[in-house]
Amino acid sequence: MSYLSIQSLHKSFGDISIFSDINCEIGKGEFVTLLGPSGCGKSTLLRCIAGLTEVGGGQILLDGEDLVPQAPQKRGIGMVFQSYALFPNMTVQQNVAFGLRMQKVAKEESTQRVQEALAMVELGDFAGRYPHQLSGGQCQRVALARSLVTRPRLLLLDEPLSALDARIRKHLREQIRSIQQELGLTTIFVTHDQEEALVMSDRIFLMNAGRIVQSGNAETLYTAPIDAFAAGFIGNYNLLDADAASRLLGRPIGSRVAIRPEAIRIDSQGSIEGKIRSHSLLGNVIRYRIEARGVELLVDVLNRTVTDMHGSGQRIALSIDADAIREVA
Amino acid sequence: MSRANPAPAALYHRVVVWLLFLILLLPLAGTLLYSLSTSWSATILPDGLTLKWYLALWSDERFLNAFGRSLLVCFGALALSVLLILPLLFVVHYHFPRLDGLMNILILLPFAVPPVVSSVGLLQLYGSGPLAMTGTPWILIGCYFTIALPFMYRAITNNLQAINLPDLMDAAHLLGASTWKAAFLVVLPNLRKGLMVSLFLSFSFLFGEFVFANMLVGTRYETLQVYLNNMKNSSGHFNSALVISYFFFVLVFTWAANRLNKDKS
Repeated sequence: MSYLSIQSLHKSFGDISIFSDINCEIGKGEFVTLLGPSGCGKSTLLRCIAGLTEVGGGQILLDGEDLVPQAPQKRGIGMVFQSYALFPNMTVQQNVAFGLRMQKVAKEESTQRVQEALAMVELGDFAGRYPHQLSGGQCQRVALARSLVTRPRLLLLDEPLSALDARIRKHLREQIRSIQQELGLTTIFVTHDQEEALVMSDRIFLMNAGRIVQSGNAETLYTAPIDAFAAGFIGNYNLLDADAASRLLGRPIGSRVAIRPEAIRIDSQGSIEGKIRSHSLLGNVIRYRIEARGVELLVDVLNRTVTDMHGSGQRIALSIDADAIREVA
Repeated sequence: MSRANPAPAALYHRVVVWLLFLILLLPLAGTLLYSLSTSWSATILPDGLTLKWYLALWSDERFLNAFGRSLLVCFGALALSVLLILPLLFVVHYHFPRLDGLMNILILLPFAVPPVVSSVGLLQLYGSGPLAMTGTPWILIGCYFTIALPFMYRAITNNLQAINLPDLMDAAHLLGASTWKAAFLVVLPNLRKGLMVSLFLSFSFLFGEFVFANMLVGTRYETLQVYLNNMKNSSGHFNSALVISYFFFVLVFTWAANRLNKDKS
């Protein structure tokens, strides 16, 4: 039985529908990501689960209990915001203890739990500091500790890494995932960053225009996009219409085709001739832009040695894994 | 681009700053000296120094009453402003952010209408009938409230925008705080700076306000500025002592407010 069950949930602002007919089931201890472009309704969905935005209709069942009629204070949900939302007038210690203060937890217990929570996010020495004395990454860790200390039934993370620089983002996402696994905490993470979603999640719900278009684990979403939107949003798929696909593959194709860039190989034995238009080095991968049979393709090749690199204008032959050619709606 | 010779620029900067300082300070120094002089008419320096003008001023019951009335009217208007504007700002910014545009137009109205014109309007409206209150401190408190409104609204709005009110409220709610608790424990302490700045700015402005006080209440409820105007034909030494006392009161008040408003952290 699922721990969190969302059934026929919908939300509109006036005539504008934000999302409609959202149905999903999330198991206890699962780390689920709502992934989608800006404006697809993922953050509003998260706010509806938290009770910060009223739903238009439908049910949100947490451990069998309907959350919709309950006030946010009563839901037992922790949330971390993109803007950190730390209280500027309080020290780190006071910020983290705030939830326990509202729950009227005894002072000794509160102090101990705050220390544990701060130790968990490696900020034990920062208890006396104010939020303006912390870096962005430290602020977000305090916000995480503040949410965890109340032992929530569900943790919601609303783009918590978006305001941080790349290095800190990478470190913090590993820390969040490790804490979540250690506590076995059911977590819903909202992001528009596909890499974050793929790295952190047990399951991903891909959203577009207020609907969940595809759900599954990272591998399924990456290798088997259900439609052109999913293929376009995750990875750097080559999306070809039926004509272009027929021309490239030399056989009649009746629908759009999505091919992953790493599924196309530069192969002297390949049957498709092409010409390199440009190339760019992405660290361990070289990304080529290749024209073949009048179709422009992105091709990713592992960067083994400098001598392997092909220059612009060079003629090459390509082969494509038959399994990697996906017909999409 | 390198700066070839910074010395003349620094000198120029210093000269301008000191000149400005002197221009502002000289009349005040002159007034202070005049208020401390026994008599000063045909000589470069005063004939002698005395505190008798200050003693006369601070033992004048009429002055003390006017001073007290000014304080009362200013504090009354500011208390009314805090009571009305803080909840208003909270509601506008948390529940109806779109109303902020309308509020920005409304708060400019007290400055759009010249004081003399609005005084005439207020006299017409509150001169007779069930709301007759000209000559009482109430009309002045109400009028001063409208003057303080733009200062307070803008300063606190800036403060609210800086703290990201919606997210703070949402976070407090999810941590178990009611809206009241969130407002008192989280929002209000973070508005302290904006609130204090706007209060002291408004106080300094209102304490020196003359046009409305003279036209709406005049001698029936003599405030400090009206008293100063009424005493214009008395001794210049006495008036100088009055101006310097007024200046030092506002100065000390502002200094104390700044000290109190310093961050703990």
